[in-house]
Amino acid sequence: MTESGLPTSEHLEHLDTDTIADLIENLLPAPEAHRAREHVKACPECQQTYDALVELSEDLADEGRADIPMPADVAEHLDAVIVSESVLRASTVGVHSLAQIREEPRRHLPKLLGAAAGVVLIAAIGVGVVFATKDNAPEGAASTEQNTPPADAVTITTNNLGPQIQQWLEHTPSAIMHGSAAEQACARTFASGRPNPNVRLVQPAKIDGKRATIIGLQGGSSRDIQVFAVTGCSDPGGVASPFYDTTVTLRNR
Amino acid sequence: MTAHLDSGDQPRPDVPRIGAGEPVPQAAHAGAPTSYDQLDDHELLRMHVAGNPDSFGFLVKRHRDRMWAVAIRTLGEPEEAADALQEAFISAFRRADSFRGDAKVTTWLHRIVVNACLDRIRRRQVRAADPLPEDEDRAAELAGPIEQDPAEVRERRLDVLNALKQINEDQRAALVLVDMEGYSIEEAAAILDCAPGTVKSRCARGRAKLLPLLRHWQTTRESDVPEKSAAEAVGTE
Repeated sequence: MTESGLPTSEHLEHLDTDTIADLIENLLPAPEAHRAREHVKACPECQQTYDALVELSEDLADEGRADIPMPADVAEHLDAVIVSESVLRASTVGVHSLAQIREEPRRHLPKLLGAAAGVVLIAAIGVGVVFATKDNAPEGAASTEQNTPPADAVTITTNNLGPQIQQWLEHTPSAIMHGSAAEQACARTFASGRPNPNVRLVQPAKIDGKRATIIGLQGGSSRDIQVFAVTGCSDPGGVASPFYDTTVTLRNR
Repeated sequence: MTAHLDSGDQPRPDVPRIGAGEPVPQAAHAGAPTSYDQLDDHELLRMHVAGNPDSFGFLVKRHRDRMWAVAIRTLGEPEEAADALQEAFISAFRRADSFRGDAKVTTWLHRIVVNACLDRIRRRQVRAADPLPEDEDRAAELAGPIEQDPAEVRERRLDVLNALKQINEDQRAALVLVDMEGYSIEEAAAILDCAPGTVKSRCARGRAKLLPLLRHWQTTRESDVPEKSAAEAVGTE
């Protein structure tokens, strides 16, 4: 630490912290390492720095083992992003960080404008999800999808239930109520027992080969639809028994 | 769809395996979401690859605090860390089928998160660093919800985060990987795409810079541990 520039004995001039840190990592050339090691042994102050650096590594390792709770807003946003990623898996999806969009506004703006308002909402905190057009989606699931469900039972798998329902509801501003009066009544009874009894969709279906009824309930926001697949409603006087549920986020609400 | 599906460790009969070579035609009929808690990481990832819409979300929930720790330490800024994690998880979501079943899911995720963070650092360096304004409230929030950890844990956590922020990004990334996350010098060199000697040197210089910033740690530590033989340390290397 001396600034004098005069040649002083190694035993008097303290080593700087960088040199001691380099010594610990074996980064010094052999003669210099030897001198430094001798000095540290003889100098209590440099020995202390040496020990402190070794302890620092240990302390950092201790601290590194601990998790840090993710802030609630970040976690919530992350969940929403994963959900929309999941819902849209069947179609071709491109994701760009907002930073990229900021940097390349001309390239992304038309797509952004074309994308639904809901998507922009999702983008508000950190990331924009830019959707490619459905027409060139290569996945098989997309090609079999219909914009509106048939009045009679639709054949579907739990696998593409979410994306399919999303598509129906995005193309139908009002509620979709299909099936017999009894089936719809059964769905309403099921809904009335839930915290969100507002029925947006009743659709007879054959899900994974079994006769079932798809019930869509209004979720926490106007964009979210909670979807249940139930059995029992197709039988006269039957009671709904859910076997699958998922949440769909509508992009145009 | 028989024997070739079951080439590895005790698979659950109803859960499709990753790398089965063909798409599994129907999703795992994952009924009640509560059952996800009992599934291990591999199973959740397998179900995700097979088309289950919810299992990846559970995987994220399970590991997000760990990954947040990595991102916030490496990047220092909560907004940056949130963006990096998001990119990382989306990338993991899409690349899940490339996961090799013999590794730990956390190791795989960890690596993706680290790379997403480093990408951001590199981009930031190219952009000639427009430093974000200091946000004190936000910084305090980083220590986590008040009710969750004892005050001294939060304080220490904040100390480290603040100290890490003050050293240069290359040194910080190397130190986080080697000292905090326990990667070997060679692994860190591979991740950082530089020579092992460079990693060592960044670690050494990073520690030297951190030392005065965190020296008060040692005084508390010395009061806990009565005497640590000073001579021992030199003899060890």
